[in-house]
Amino acid sequence: MSFQTSLKRWVPYVALAVAPAFALADSDTEKLSKDPKNWAMQAGGLANQRYSELKQVNKDNAKNLQVAWTFSTGVLRGHEGGPLVIGDTMYVHSPFPNKVYAIALEDQRIKWKYEPKQDPAVIPVMCCDVVNRGVAYANGKVFLQQADTTLVALDAKSGKEIWKVKTGNPKIGETNTNTPHIFKDKVLTGISGGEFGVRGRITAYDINTGKEVWKAFSTGPDNEMLIDPAATMTWTDGKMAPVGKDSSLKTWQGDQWKIGGGTTWGWYSYDPALNVVYYGTGNPSTWNPRQRPGDNKWSMTIFARDLDTGKARWAYQMTPHDEWDYDGVNEMILADVKVKGKMHKALVHFDRNGFGYTLDRVSGALLVAEKFDPAVNWATHVDMKSGRPQVVAAYSTDKNGPDVNSKGICPSALGTKDMQPATYSPKTGLFYVPTNHVCMDYEPFKVEYTAGQPYVGSTLSMYPAPDSHGGMGNFIAWDAGTGKIVWSKPEKFSVWSGALSTAGDVVFYGTLEGYLKAVDNNGKELWKFKTPSGIIGNVNTWEYKGKQYIGVLSGIGGWAGIGLAAGLQNATDGLGAVGGYKELAHYTELGGVLTVFALPGK
Amino acid sequence: MKTRTTHAMIVLAAGVWMAGASTSGAAAQTPYQVVDGNTVDAQTLNGWRTWRAMACERCHGAQQEGLVGPSLVASLKVLTKDEFKNTVLHGRIKLGMPNFDGSKQVVENIDHLYAYLKGRSDGAIKPGRLQEIAK
Repeated sequence: MSFQTSLKRWVPYVALAVAPAFALADSDTEKLSKDPKNWAMQAGGLANQRYSELKQVNKDNAKNLQVAWTFSTGVLRGHEGGPLVIGDTMYVHSPFPNKVYAIALEDQRIKWKYEPKQDPAVIPVMCCDVVNRGVAYANGKVFLQQADTTLVALDAKSGKEIWKVKTGNPKIGETNTNTPHIFKDKVLTGISGGEFGVRGRITAYDINTGKEVWKAFSTGPDNEMLIDPAATMTWTDGKMAPVGKDSSLKTWQGDQWKIGGGTTWGWYSYDPALNVVYYGTGNPSTWNPRQRPGDNKWSMTIFARDLDTGKARWAYQMTPHDEWDYDGVNEMILADVKVKGKMHKALVHFDRNGFGYTLDRVSGALLVAEKFDPAVNWATHVDMKSGRPQVVAAYSTDKNGPDVNSKGICPSALGTKDMQPATYSPKTGLFYVPTNHVCMDYEPFKVEYTAGQPYVGSTLSMYPAPDSHGGMGNFIAWDAGTGKIVWSKPEKFSVWSGALSTAGDVVFYGTLEGYLKAVDNNGKELWKFKTPSGIIGNVNTWEYKGKQYIGVLSGIGGWAGIGLAAGLQNATDGLGAVGGYKELAHYTELGGVLTVFALPGK
Repeated sequence: MKTRTTHAMIVLAAGVWMAGASTSGAAAQTPYQVVDGNTVDAQTLNGWRTWRAMACERCHGAQQEGLVGPSLVASLKVLTKDEFKNTVLHGRIKLGMPNFDGSKQVVENIDHLYAYLKGRSDGAIKPGRLQEIAK
């Protein structure tokens, strides 16, 4: 760090010292999220649990849920994320062009609307639809991470811009889909573009000024990753040990790490007691593994970093030398979990690679790594001593080599679960997980890198898991202490919506056909409602004037639904990313709508 | 490498000309050569490789049948070659079609990409992997 940078970093602290420091230094987000009447963060709270203490809607009356009101975002394409509710106001967003609406809960009047001016050149470089996973809120500001990498803070009362900052460069394929994450006095954001050879990182900004506080890359020299070779730990030979010097550089050939991916578009979490932020990194670029020999660290990694400095406490690489596009970005859920009789402050993560991981989040020690779909076949198991998956040779696209079609790999590149976040109920101690049940053929080929051009290098074909129930998804309950599936509810399509669990013993999730479903803690379906379009958004809940509401965005799109827009009725077999999904066209069409539910009466 | 390509081009040009000559009357020549639907001339093969390298199937479908982007099986029946080249090189940005004039591979293979997609549109070239006609 240069002297100039450190001087700049001190200025806001000096200024704050004269003011009532605590109130200004920290955001009110944590406090707001503890009031179950609000839904103040995209994941409900800092721990990413997507759990609500509200219980007016319960397993006995959920069957009576009905539509309270609806709202069109006026945008087609995939609607991910969900609405925030703070007090009497809702903040809801749309995919590109990333509109934001503030809605009065009293009469559903639009208080203000914000629509950024973005260069449409960003549309073609967004890999899997122009989705956005929602806004964040802190200290009277609404934060929007635009597709074109601009992070903007809006006045929550007026929708006027307070500050904005450019976090990346779309000209080299960098875009954004993630929600901003507010932890304490910082707003953290990531980057997308693993299919364009970008170099992943997360960046922390001051919520009041938009000044960059720190930036940590996923690949490259130790100082640029904020890794201390002697102090940053990783699971090694059955225990935690320092990562050592040049832990990333040693695992790449030449300069490939500069275009090595490791993007960061998932759901981060934060433990205030440890002051540590947790997040995952995505696939190494390209998808042709032969072009990047080595473990490709620290792609496909769970990172634990000090929130104030960004310094890495520990890192764990789930899929060394990825050969299947199993991004490690999925949500990091923090919970207390008992493993082999001992309680741990744990981190639970359902990876694209099909393994459900439980780690001690204080030390980073690996506790559990088990398949959360029996169809997973690319690895026999995770060796608990080395922490490495044991790859089955027949499914190794590196071993089979370029221009060879490796067939029958489970899961597909969509993962056993993609970014659609799971929920944890502290009441039952179980995780409820939306999953994909899809396999693939994968044929890598050699590609040249050109800045801003696709850098994929593999042709894929996806289909429902063979010799199973024929559907492409399951909604499951998971015991993270033992690594076992407790129950599994088959679904016709991938479950691509974020789930919600509640103190009312009701668990909610949406389906690609467009059903919002309520199930009890045993997976028994209590109620369902067909919303206007397929659901890839997350289910949220809040209370206003004594009444509990459930809200979800529908609007098919995203990777799974991207094929709906045109021509699918003419399609034949073997369609790549959407082959198995063509049937969806019989159920739903595009269109973004928020549907809000409540019990009748009052 | 360069000499060999040039040589192959001469041979193929002759092949296309002969194919054209053998058809009756003023039937249009095709910009591709294909045998059994999946064996093509070297240039058309490079067109397919370009299609694959740019991940065009992400928007246009693995069989060019259209996804978020339009069906190229249909579009290539309507677009002139110049319109096609203009669209690929300069994009239709607001509709999500990138400009590929920054890609050396696309610029060098634009005619071959056209040949491949024309063959797909005509139904003469089958979807999926292709191989080169033996010399």
